[in-house]
Amino acid sequence: MITTEQTITVTINGTTYEREVAARKLLIHFVRDDLDLTGSHIGCDTGNCGACSMLVDGMLVKSCMMLAVQADGTTIETVEGLSDGEELNTLQAAFREHHALQCGYCTPGMLMSATALLRENPSPSDDEIKKALQGNICRCTGYWNIFEAVKAVAR
Amino acid sequence: MLLREVGYARPASLGEAIELLAANDGARALAGGQTLINVMKARAGSPDALIDLNGLEELRGIDLAADGTLSIGAMTTYSEIVGSAEARARPIIGEVCAQIADVQVRNRGTIGGNLCTNDPTNHLPPLMAALGATMTIAGADGERTVTSAEFFLGVYLTAVVQGEVLTKITVPAGRSDGFAAVTLGVDGTCIASAAASLNGRITVALGCVDAVPVVVEPATASPDDVRAAVEAADIDPPSDVHASSAYRAHLSQVLAVRAVNQAQGAA
Amino acid sequence: MTSTTIAPEQVEVGKTWSGQSVPRKEDRRLLQGQGVFVDDIKRHGMGYLHFVRSPYAHAHITSIDVSQAEELPGVYGTLTGEEVAALTDPFFQISSPPGANVKDFSLALGKVRYVGEAIVAVVAETRELARDASELVEIEYEPIDAVVDARYAQDANVPTIHEDAGGNLMWHGVYEWGDLDSAFAEADRVVKIDQLHFHRFNSTPLECDGALVEFNKGTGQWTIHTNNQFPGFAAIMMGPAMRTGLDRLRFVTQDIGGGFGNKITSHPQLVVCCLLARKLGRPIQWTEWRTDFHLSMSHGNERWFLETEVAVKNDGTLLGFRTKALDDAGAWLRYEPLGGVIWAQVTPGMYKWRNIRVDFTQVATNKAPVSPNRGYSRMQHLWFTERVIDIVAHELDLDPVEVRKRNYVTVDDMPYETPNGCVYDSGDYAQMLDIGLELIDYAGIEERRADAKARGRLLGVGIGSTLDSGTNNFGQSRMINPELQFSGNNEVATVKLDIFGEIVVTLGTTPQGQGHETTAAQVVADILKCSVDDVNVRAGHDSYWNSHAGFSGTYASQFAVTGLSAVKGATEMLAVEIKKLAGAVFGGVPEEALELADGGVRIKESPDAFLPFMACGAIINANNAGLPEDLGVTLNCRYVYRPPFQVPDVERKFGNLTLTYATQIHVAVIEVDPETGYYDIVDYAAVDDCGRRINPQIVEGQVMGATAQALGAAVHENFVYDEDGNLLTPNFYDYHVPHALDMPPLATGSLESPSPFTPLGTKGMGEGGGAGIHAVCAAVQDALRGHGDAIVWDSCNPYHRVWEMLNDPKGAGGTVSVTTT
Repeated sequence: MITTEQTITVTINGTTYEREVAARKLLIHFVRDDLDLTGSHIGCDTGNCGACSMLVDGMLVKSCMMLAVQADGTTIETVEGLSDGEELNTLQAAFREHHALQCGYCTPGMLMSATALLRENPSPSDDEIKKALQGNICRCTGYWNIFEAVKAVAR
Repeated sequence: MLLREVGYARPASLGEAIELLAANDGARALAGGQTLINVMKARAGSPDALIDLNGLEELRGIDLAADGTLSIGAMTTYSEIVGSAEARARPIIGEVCAQIADVQVRNRGTIGGNLCTNDPTNHLPPLMAALGATMTIAGADGERTVTSAEFFLGVYLTAVVQGEVLTKITVPAGRSDGFAAVTLGVDGTCIASAAASLNGRITVALGCVDAVPVVVEPATASPDDVRAAVEAADIDPPSDVHASSAYRAHLSQVLAVRAVNQAQGAA
Repeated sequence: MTSTTIAPEQVEVGKTWSGQSVPRKEDRRLLQGQGVFVDDIKRHGMGYLHFVRSPYAHAHITSIDVSQAEELPGVYGTLTGEEVAALTDPFFQISSPPGANVKDFSLALGKVRYVGEAIVAVVAETRELARDASELVEIEYEPIDAVVDARYAQDANVPTIHEDAGGNLMWHGVYEWGDLDSAFAEADRVVKIDQLHFHRFNSTPLECDGALVEFNKGTGQWTIHTNNQFPGFAAIMMGPAMRTGLDRLRFVTQDIGGGFGNKITSHPQLVVCCLLARKLGRPIQWTEWRTDFHLSMSHGNERWFLETEVAVKNDGTLLGFRTKALDDAGAWLRYEPLGGVIWAQVTPGMYKWRNIRVDFTQVATNKAPVSPNRGYSRMQHLWFTERVIDIVAHELDLDPVEVRKRNYVTVDDMPYETPNGCVYDSGDYAQMLDIGLELIDYAGIEERRADAKARGRLLGVGIGSTLDSGTNNFGQSRMINPELQFSGNNEVATVKLDIFGEIVVTLGTTPQGQGHETTAAQVVADILKCSVDDVNVRAGHDSYWNSHAGFSGTYASQFAVTGLSAVKGATEMLAVEIKKLAGAVFGGVPEEALELADGGVRIKESPDAFLPFMACGAIINANNAGLPEDLGVTLNCRYVYRPPFQVPDVERKFGNLTLTYATQIHVAVIEVDPETGYYDIVDYAAVDDCGRRINPQIVEGQVMGATAQALGAAVHENFVYDEDGNLLTPNFYDYHVPHALDMPPLATGSLESPSPFTPLGTKGMGEGGGAGIHAVCAAVQDALRGHGDAIVWDSCNPYHRVWEMLNDPKGAGGTVSVTTT
């Protein structure tokens, strides 16, 4: 049945949400505006920048190219779920140590891409790190320190 | 951002999807959405409804027949192809899919979506044309299978008509294939591309130069013959901010030779 | 992935905090997704704003009908140019006439002047509805021919963009120093360069502009949550236009997703938000999307250099140059024509040219307005001087390294007064060049060139040397318009001890990733002899904190000078007050007998007499009976740092226009595929000298980021318009910014030449990115040497242009001639 609004259930960072959502609403808007999880960002309108990257059922996606209704029944991980409480996780700590962020706007998406990489491939080569981060634009760092941070965790 | 109002349905079967598409003129099939949703964000296109094919397992997966024929479900993602042992029977497919956009896009984007979009800068239309792939289309009246020459009709236009769904891509056996492109940044959007296949005969398909892949068949794999074949195709590529028509025409020759060279090396 | 970046050194306790790579205070919240960026802010009942934008580059607006949009359920209201014109005055213009006569309102009035110009604002209950309604606004246009090429903007029969200005000329001025006639008479050769073109791009911060504006009806005050990076400037633009006092415009910012100068000129959009917040009686939320940003915000100044002549000796000694600079301002003067003078901070580049004439013209075109972009206006000029050096070397068949070293201002010349009265404070350019050359193994370059050739590749090496001038003397604006009453510069910090001894620092700046919370804490900790962990630096900016001045903000490479000097001043005041208080508490112990240590103050000779900061804070704030009446201690110290500037001599266009000069020298090695024009940067060195570094890791991060932006601009990033004034690169799909796979190996090096003119020896830094553009241009030209010998004349060289230069060096390359005198 074709509808313009649906009730969906998603579990994000361990919390389950049930909401009415318009079919036209992008997943990123749903997460940011409806659920107030503003850690994931929007940096473009063409699916290029990756600031909205999150893991949907374990798979890295850009949440601006997915409708919220398509996420019905999924389990989602966003940047807010990375730390265990106050403590930075190993990857986050490596980003801090290596100055892999400046303005921090791309950082949530970048962290999710690096997380997806390291889960799949805990010892990536330099080239594999670059390839894994290709979908995330950073305008501040030139990426070099981001590569170093991911390498530091990969070792 | 901010799509126009749109209806949405997630059919439980291919049959239901076809029914929904046939019953609603303004409905469109939603594959990976890595192009369509961007088009809708720009409000450059606004279907009345999206029929989401993502749940349809019958459209996913890769089969390798005993004779080496590959069947790839239209909703198979680039990442699935890259990771597939079966797909390695025709290695070029995975190699090219690994160059498309980025991890996130490859995780959602599908071979069927890439072909049905037929954006001239897409990687897969020229590749499938060179490989001699056939496309299976299902509709209310059953299935039909078409060649790439019959499939690609224009920019964003294919043989799939309202009420139909591309279900499967079939690629014959072979290994001597090549692909070359000049892209916007490393592994970026194609400015010009060429795919070549030397399995029995020599087929070269050029991307980014016309509304559909331009297929040429050089007499031999020698660079001179390849260039001559491209020359004889008398292409008139579009000019845009990334390339003039003349530059694209020139690149087509260079890339055709490189793709053929790669195909020879892969024999 | 070669990079010299190594694991950061451990921070050593006991050493001074300044000079160490202290991990940033900002990082925790940003890494956990707990930063507060402007689009994260929500208010009950807020309405989402969407702008209706012009599809035409140049057209009369014959009618606007918002009735259908307003009738759509969920729509709260609209605003049109006519309402804006009734409710506000035109923005103040910086320019002298004719630019001064331009009437600039927040929404288009009667006419549109570029594709993407905002015409109507629509506010609705949801983001999607606001956009839906904007499609129902009916606007009729009468198109006019677009003016897109600055070179022809003043021709007869070209349409006038601003009738009020009487033509497309916005500003013109002639700068001349030294004795050009003698220089050209003395020259062995005169190198003539027809035209050079610095292209239009900007830094595309990942977060676009935005605001959430609340209006307090009872007090008449607006609270403007925004990511504008120069609220002081926004306020002086907005207040008079809105006919309101500046204290009614409260600017609040926490985290900003990159700025690079591009977020200085959002004042028109902020005015629209303010007017609608008042009109509709609800908070107004505006988020700019990527395409909106590309179409309408802050393009970098596009500049032509026409009919350049360079006087040189046979040995490459540079005697002088003259050129006609033509700046394409786009449709409005939103910060312009300041670009017409800012370049003069680096008039001779890094060279000892003494005789210089620049005839500077700025015109309007039907393109997006230009505004500051990292390296604002100096980058264009330094690209010009670097191009001149490499063209001279090419034409005289000299080594570009030798020509540079022959003409660089030397370490012995420092401080060096330029022909126009600027003072280069310190630095050793030749040594930096040597470091850069060594990092890319210049000694082995010919061997590598041969190796590349054997692989069918053309190797090229290029140098980019730039100055990153920081801390403006705003007095230079008077060279643009003698009527202006601006000069000097300032920044504010307050440092206080709260009741429980907590050290609280408030800045006037609006950081966008530069780590101000961290570096400020380092300076404070060194003075108060405590840990950086004990220093609480407030995140962001709030003009109600009373810690800002007219020039507060984060722009133009100045925090390390203005911001940290203010922090230093306020902290030193606080240190004195703490001692005064302790002296009184200890029963009249003189200040000199006291010292700060271990989070408190003690008597040097008897350290057991110790008063922790907590006690100090408690005594002053809550337990102050019995203190001497004339104690004069508040433990809440506000300090305004003012750089030592004089008002420049407007007649001679002479004076010190900026306080410090950081330096960057970059060296690029590229390999060109001659069949396609495609090229890779195979090696890259960036050498930086920004004086004393408070936090070397943060400094290196700035160097890296600026480099990446420059490489993007050199190869891909370009706001290209067609002849009808349509932007062909309105998004990240066509405007390709570098991603991870595009990054070349990077080697970094540094020198540290403290500035003699600043309290901490620091220099402003962060804008040195232009060096990468210069270096890549030079490398492309070098690679084509012997393969057509094209002259690189444009600052952006995508593959197709390189291919064109290889195939048609005379047609696609620049036109240069050499006259022997």
